[in-house]
Amino acid sequence: MNIENFELIYKDSRVIIKDKPKIKLRLGEIVGNENVSDNEIDILAYNKDTTLITLNWTLEGKIAALPDFIVWPETPEQISSILKLANEEKIPVIPFSEGSGVVGGAIPIYGGIILDMKKFNKILEINDKDLTVTVEAGTNGMNLERYLNAKGYTGGHIPQSLYTSSVGGWIAHRAAGQFSSKYGKTEDMVMGMELVLPKGDVIKFKTIARASTGPQLDKLFIGNEGTLGIVTKATLKIWPYPEKRAFISYAFPTFEDSLEATRQILRQQIYPAVIRIYDADETYRHFGHIEKAKDSVMVVFVCEGIERLVDLEATITRETCEKNNGIECGEEPVEHWFETRFRVTETSSTPTFKMVADTIEIGFLWDKAAEMYHSVVEAAKNVKGVIMITAHVSHFYPNGVGFYFTFAGIPPQEKSDFQFYQEVWNTIVKAVEDAGGSFGHHHGVGINRSKWMPVEWGKAFDTLKAIKNLLDPNNILNPGKIYESPWEKGGEN
Amino acid sequence: MNIENFELIYKDNRVIIENKPKIKEKLSKIVGNANVSDNEIDIMAYNKDTTLLAFNWTLEGKLTALPDFIVWPETPEQISSILKLANEEGIPVIPFSEGSGAVGGAIAIYGGIILDMKKFNKILEINDKDLTVTVEAGTNGMNLERYLNAKGYTGGHIPQSLYTSSVGGWIAHRAAGQFSSKYGKIEDIVMGMELVLPQGDIIKFKTIARASTGPQLDKLFIGNEGTLGIVTKATLKIWPFPEKRALISYAFTTFEDSLEATRQILRQQIYPAVIRIYDADETYRHFGHIENAKNKVMVVFVCEGVKKLVDLEAIITRETCEKNNGIDCGEEPVNHWFETRFRVTETSFAPTLKMVADTIEIGFLWDNAANMYHSVLETTKKVKGVIMMTAHISHFYPNGIGFYFTFAGIPPEEKTDLEFYQEVWNTVVKVVEDAGGSFSHHHGVGITRSHWMPVEWGKAFETLKSIKKLLDPNNILNPGKIYESPWDEGMES
Amino acid sequence: MGEILKKYKWMGPIIDAMDRDVKRLFMKNFRMRDKNFFPEGEYKADIKNLVNCMLCPNMCRFDCGTLQAEQKETMSPAYKARIGYYLTIGKIDPSKEENKAFIDLMYKCSNEESCKIWCPFEFSVVSLLETVRDDLNDKGLMPDYCKEQIDKLKKTNTIEDHNIYETYKEKGIENIETDGNDEVYYYIGCESMKFPEVVKANIELLKKAGVRFSTNLETKVCCGGPAFNIRDLETAKDFANRNKDLIEKTGANVVVSDCPGCVVTLTSRYQKAGIEIGTKVIHIVEYIKQLIDEGKLKFEKNVSDEFSKITIHDPCLIARNLNDTTSIRAILNKIPGLEISEPMYNKDSVHCCGWSGTAHWADRSLAIKEAKNRVNELKETGSNVFLSACPLCELGLAYGLSEGDKENIKIIDIAELLIKAL
Repeated sequence: MNIENFELIYKDSRVIIKDKPKIKLRLGEIVGNENVSDNEIDILAYNKDTTLITLNWTLEGKIAALPDFIVWPETPEQISSILKLANEEKIPVIPFSEGSGVVGGAIPIYGGIILDMKKFNKILEINDKDLTVTVEAGTNGMNLERYLNAKGYTGGHIPQSLYTSSVGGWIAHRAAGQFSSKYGKTEDMVMGMELVLPKGDVIKFKTIARASTGPQLDKLFIGNEGTLGIVTKATLKIWPYPEKRAFISYAFPTFEDSLEATRQILRQQIYPAVIRIYDADETYRHFGHIEKAKDSVMVVFVCEGIERLVDLEATITRETCEKNNGIECGEEPVEHWFETRFRVTETSSTPTFKMVADTIEIGFLWDKAAEMYHSVVEAAKNVKGVIMITAHVSHFYPNGVGFYFTFAGIPPQEKSDFQFYQEVWNTIVKAVEDAGGSFGHHHGVGINRSKWMPVEWGKAFDTLKAIKNLLDPNNILNPGKIYESPWEKGGEN
Repeated sequence: MNIENFELIYKDNRVIIENKPKIKEKLSKIVGNANVSDNEIDIMAYNKDTTLLAFNWTLEGKLTALPDFIVWPETPEQISSILKLANEEGIPVIPFSEGSGAVGGAIAIYGGIILDMKKFNKILEINDKDLTVTVEAGTNGMNLERYLNAKGYTGGHIPQSLYTSSVGGWIAHRAAGQFSSKYGKIEDIVMGMELVLPQGDIIKFKTIARASTGPQLDKLFIGNEGTLGIVTKATLKIWPFPEKRALISYAFTTFEDSLEATRQILRQQIYPAVIRIYDADETYRHFGHIENAKNKVMVVFVCEGVKKLVDLEAIITRETCEKNNGIDCGEEPVNHWFETRFRVTETSFAPTLKMVADTIEIGFLWDNAANMYHSVLETTKKVKGVIMMTAHISHFYPNGIGFYFTFAGIPPEEKTDLEFYQEVWNTVVKVVEDAGGSFSHHHGVGITRSHWMPVEWGKAFETLKSIKKLLDPNNILNPGKIYESPWDEGMES
Repeated sequence: MGEILKKYKWMGPIIDAMDRDVKRLFMKNFRMRDKNFFPEGEYKADIKNLVNCMLCPNMCRFDCGTLQAEQKETMSPAYKARIGYYLTIGKIDPSKEENKAFIDLMYKCSNEESCKIWCPFEFSVVSLLETVRDDLNDKGLMPDYCKEQIDKLKKTNTIEDHNIYETYKEKGIENIETDGNDEVYYYIGCESMKFPEVVKANIELLKKAGVRFSTNLETKVCCGGPAFNIRDLETAKDFANRNKDLIEKTGANVVVSDCPGCVVTLTSRYQKAGIEIGTKVIHIVEYIKQLIDEGKLKFEKNVSDEFSKITIHDPCLIARNLNDTTSIRAILNKIPGLEISEPMYNKDSVHCCGWSGTAHWADRSLAIKEAKNRVNELKETGSNVFLSACPLCELGLAYGLSEGDKENIKIIDIAELLIKAL
């Protein structure tokens, strides 16, 4: 066994499966032998998601967690049978598709069955009049988007993880794309869903534009992170591919000015698809080559849609920036952003320096957003070992914004990487929650933030837990996430 | 007792309260003597909501239903105590505020305690930067809207019932206003809530623009119609009061043309706040005086917001209408609509002719909408006694629309009013459900449509019922609605 | 019927298209409409509009002062109409002792008539309730609190249990008897007599402007307003005739009253009762505005700091019934250095002080709640001086003040402010 050569991070409270061959046989009966595996080569491939610290572990020859089986079902009925078996045998089932989550949502921390949704990858139907696409939940984001583009549409959902995430993952984690200021987040896009409940019932939520048919049960499942059900199919909004794009950028003397300008744009019901404010440090990092942006706060905008609307949006965007002391920086910064937006190389380099880094996105209302930003930066800088804390604001709504903090540090010697990582996470989230914000804007809860659920939801968290218990009484569906806080129980520490 | 002079419509399965004086005393201890009543004059005032058939009963000297007590709590804590008492004693509690519901949601069909929310009528805070208003749930719609207007804002939620409905009622029933094509429905407007659960727990959902903090539990309660909790406070989106309004109207030769034109407008991401298509019969009824609209389908638009955006919306609206054979009818029809939009006189008129009439709003996607419309008309006209069946479309989204059917009829002699009423309702809803639509767009389920819940939600209805049972094990909160179908059980029929 | 046929012209094709048996039923229902729902026999109640109101979704409810004060469905306009209908048709028997509460409901209205603004039928609820009161009176079922008012009127000629005009000497109000050749008859309301400083201020203003006027307090009687509210039209007419004589005796060109209730009664209510007063009757704010326009009154002094920041409470009778929202503001704008703030609900959308109509007799605590609501609205302006031009408002608002408010807030009549600026 090679696995013994690898240190296992999540090793406590693992499920004990007494008769593995029997379970394998039964899984084989459900999905076919070729669609179930407990081979080392496979289970090693599913040891983690894209939580950044796991990349450090990977380089160090550690594995985050270890599933017992991988299954690749092909129909909702197979999923149903797997879940029924898992309930009988009390084995955790962890839904997985592209593994791009960054909060540990798809890590099988207690072992069990990884249920990989990759074979749910068919794009079933585009309806031009309804402007909808119906797609299986395992479908890769880029494969969906370029299919839509080829047919003359866009899904409007373009996360940085587009190439490496799935529709089901978006829905599970309430994902947001870079173009969200126009098209909304996933929860604004999902119109209908099919899903399998923890005990195996297959339910379908009708595709609706809007309705008034009782409690919005369907919405409860958006953001469930594979704990209340497994989405197998979804109908999403699409849009005609934009006629035109306008690239606009402005540099502002202060962070506050940039917030003021963007807030005023949204307030006029003008929705550039992309708005991104980079704080001074990130401006220096990404736009150091732009002369006018020196010591300033860069804001890039992309307006897109029909030509005349884009022209109007551009005009109002420019006017509003100028009214708030913005200095025009032309198209170049936006082109630069466009070119580099998927070029992620940091994840490969930081671990080689034994640096621990991550991004933390949070939701906040407009009022007091700047104060919150400053207090997060200050608080994070006070953590011993932190060498960098910066932010950009990447999601904009008439009522609030989504911040994206990036930190990096060298763990002090008395601390493990993981302890340091947790300390920074908790420091930042605490500052956000104290200021009245929400601990996550579009990455979800997973393991990294489950400790903060009672703070975010208050007493309603008990209600949520009761519903979890109702739907999943054996706690087999993705245990250790959202409702439990493994970080508090240890992990490495 | 005068009540003996009144025939009671909902008289079966009434709760039997053995020791009424004791319950009254306990209620008084919670809310004070002045805030509890079992006087005839009070309980008669709460015998119905605005379900249209109840007007016929009122005129005929019948009572729809009879509560045992009315309470007027003033704090969430009092509501909590009332619910705890109701659970102990097994007494139904029916939330009520302005009584403008049209599907029986606030009717005390089994008797019990009407919990009137009217004293929750304070507007607590406007936040200009966040563009939010925090308001108690019993607040009357017009009192909120004109307060906002006075401060330079609009809530964007202007239902025909504005004068006679409450914030809590909007949230309970997933309401939509006339300006929804720009501002959305109430589920798009609510950002945060405080509510009391059936067993008395008070929970608070944080005010968020967008977040990713797990399952969207908050959304589950929007549309719960007072069956899963009682909303006591909400934070809603607001907007700067529009700089400009453009009033536009076009007449189309066919219903299909009018649908095509409006669909194309939305598809361009152009959102007139108001769009209303009147079928040929309704055009004759409401716009008989407009020469250009003779034998046509009238569409009225209101664009509103910042001037430049309104101007562009108006241009594109006009162009798109003209491209689809629309004939410009000027501002007059829109002015006429503006003037008459709250002038409801038919509810007073129809019952005096022993006519049974109602409106049925439903949600549908674009594709196939015209066919559905024609088949609803055709099928309904076949119901014996129906003398009129018309429609307008009042809510528009890029992916679908909200239809508003109006029927009137003279019940044939072999049928009671209620039997006839139920027959027409069920006929219309069946056609809609068969065609793939949703049985309601913005009035909710109540009693009138609970029969259709299993059809609309499929197996997911079981999940919903189990959540109801989890949160309200004694079924004390608004029983007989959504999850049960009293119409199936008989009553008059 | 004709009106209905016109409004429902669009039903023509629908009726044409009906099946024969349906059409037969429809036409029968149409013919029997009145018979089915409108009782036979003698009654004064406006059944047609009571039905219209009781079957309306309550489109005025948000602006109904009593409903907003009580926050109970029982107080809603459509329910009042419904009970009015049931009392009229006998479904609820008004003669039964146990049904007193239902009768009382017919009097729980503050006559502010803001409902009329929103009414699709363009009536006010009180105009319907008054017709129900007529029937109650005919049946001898006038509530005791109304009888009490009528008794006082009959006994003292005023609204008090003593003749309130006789108190003028002890209050230091100057009486000017007419010489039959007045320019103006300053018609002091009974309620105004409770505010001698206001009356004195008005007298001072009229004198300052050089107006020839009388007050005739020795012979003055109530205008009869309360009797009109209660719908004791016999008593009301008696007062109308007496007032007509008194007014004519003065020879005045114009009657100027400090009470909008008196103005409304002397004009439209008398007219409806068939009694026409030849002389023009106006509220004193309208008259003062004229005097200012004619240059007869000038305000040159700054008022003291204490009164320099006021908020206006429009009397609903002036704003909505006399349709005058400009006089008060035109006058105030002439006062140097005065800071005027407006509450959100002002001019013709003003909310009632609670002390108009019959509500304050039928249910004093209801009227106080209404007053409290209004006080809170006025307080939102941040001003501590509430200015009005109606003794009822000044009375009502005072009931709305909490103990704490009483220390900070002053309620004044416009006349009291004006004399400070002379």
